[in-house]
Amino acid sequence: MTLLVALVATTLFIADSMKAEYKQDIQTAPDIVVSAQKALRYKTIDETQAARFLEIDGVSNAIPRVWGEYYFAKGNVRFKIVGLDEFENSTNSTLNRLRDRLSYDTNMMLLSPKVKAILNKNYYKDYFNFILQDGTLLRVNISQKSIAIPSIRDEYLIVMPKELARKIFAYADNEATDIAVSVKNSEEIAFSARKIAALLGNAKISIKDDLIVEYEQMYNYRSGFFLTIFIITFFTFFVIIYDRLSGLNSEQKREIGILKAIGWRVEDVLKTKLYEGLIISLFSYSLGIILAMVYTFIFNGGILKNIFLSSSRLLEHVPLQFHLDYATLALLFLISVPLYICATIIPSWIAATVDADEVMR
Amino acid sequence: MIELKNVVKKYANGVVAIEDLSLKLNRGELIVLKGVSGSGKSTILSLIAGLSKPSSGDIVVDDKHISKLPDHFAAAFRRDNIGFIFQKYNLISSLSVAENILLPLYPLNLPKEELEPRLQEVLNSLSIEDKRDRKVKDLSGGEQQRVAIARASINNPNIILADEPTANLDEKLSLAFIKMLEGLKASNRTVVVATHDPLFFDLESVDRVIEIRDGKVV
Repeated sequence: MTLLVALVATTLFIADSMKAEYKQDIQTAPDIVVSAQKALRYKTIDETQAARFLEIDGVSNAIPRVWGEYYFAKGNVRFKIVGLDEFENSTNSTLNRLRDRLSYDTNMMLLSPKVKAILNKNYYKDYFNFILQDGTLLRVNISQKSIAIPSIRDEYLIVMPKELARKIFAYADNEATDIAVSVKNSEEIAFSARKIAALLGNAKISIKDDLIVEYEQMYNYRSGFFLTIFIITFFTFFVIIYDRLSGLNSEQKREIGILKAIGWRVEDVLKTKLYEGLIISLFSYSLGIILAMVYTFIFNGGILKNIFLSSSRLLEHVPLQFHLDYATLALLFLISVPLYICATIIPSWIAATVDADEVMR
Repeated sequence: MIELKNVVKKYANGVVAIEDLSLKLNRGELIVLKGVSGSGKSTILSLIAGLSKPSSGDIVVDDKHISKLPDHFAAAFRRDNIGFIFQKYNLISSLSVAENILLPLYPLNLPKEELEPRLQEVLNSLSIEDKRDRKVKDLSGGEQQRVAIARASINNPNIILADEPTANLDEKLSLAFIKMLEGLKASNRTVVVATHDPLFFDLESVDRVIEIRDGKVV
């Protein structure tokens, strides 16, 4: 029972953790993201376009964003670099907090704990030399402040002033990766997106709804894998319960016969079986939940997470954030403890109501 | 006094185990029910203990009509009046000696202060005090038999029923067991032993040997 509770709990915890992460990402995502394209490939966008978007009725903000990835060969890892401007507000409050902690008049960057550890391991404690596209080096100082990452996808995050990020990506002064647009009325997001598309022609316009679809595909929420594991686990659980309900083994029957022969009443037997079932099921439930928590949040979901993320391109190695849904715990409790107690009590009751003499024979 | 009046016991499969049996057993007697396997000795003990009900007839123990007691009261009757010693000891192997002995008293929810002296008394009387915390599965046959006797006497019953108690014991241990039964008889308990062990038949302490054959007194 412990293993089954652990298995079901692990699948639910992983799903819950991803769902929480997904909700958080959706909440902090911009209403519209505008990227430029050439031959259906992403390219940089002219940041002066942001001013044109602001002229559209309903658009409340348009921020050119500079971000991208930098490959660090020694660590065989890709850092995510986000450039921030001192006077720009992001839709992501964590990024806004990081923006306020940046120093804009020095060559300085903030590192996620993981990036800091990787650079430390490679002897970059106070600064790091980025290799620019022309082969020269750009020395950037490392801030010793620790930072919280905005999302599980930002494990390898580096935050720096926009100008520095532009140098690393070899962007021109007016170039940005994309433009994040905020719309006052959420009902008008699609309408504003169409207006932006009309202004830019071949731009790629992503709205929050697109993001939701992308995430659903990425997390594989309703995937067959999840349902298969869930159904198999439940089926196994009910087979065990059914097996218990279908009768006690001869040793258990003999024990009940002995107890009746030495003067125990049916209710005495049932009371003992109730306590026994309660202790075993509560212990198994608690142990199963603890095992699931350890497996999910300390061992990061192991094989089960990979099954969930079978089609994910981004999340294969990201840690699962601790998130506990009390409704999930209650559901697990209801499908395990009362069922197990019933499965203990009912066959015992059947055995206890038969003549002790017959039970022992 | 135990009285069986025209008792018939017929099982669901049609087998007649006891056929029109009448018996009177007096208080303080040591009675041996003698007979081959399947003669109905164990069924008589089971009926006296209220473990099963007769198909017809009546069983009266100390003015109580055992055969008519509902299951709930029959259990209470056993708890208060009967000590049962089984052929295969019927101890619960996962429990310790002390736990097995105290089993009949658990439903009474007696305080530990009351249980402990009673437990100590039976452990001492049967010389198994050093085994109290051992699991019964780790004991020898003779020791298990003592635990079974201790369990049968912990509730201080008037009647001790023993079903083939020496079937799994060698002669030395059987004689030791008989001594213990004599001790129980000496304390004015009625002891009924169902056996085909010849050791019991010529004992001075045995008041009567009743032969049972095909469910009848011969």
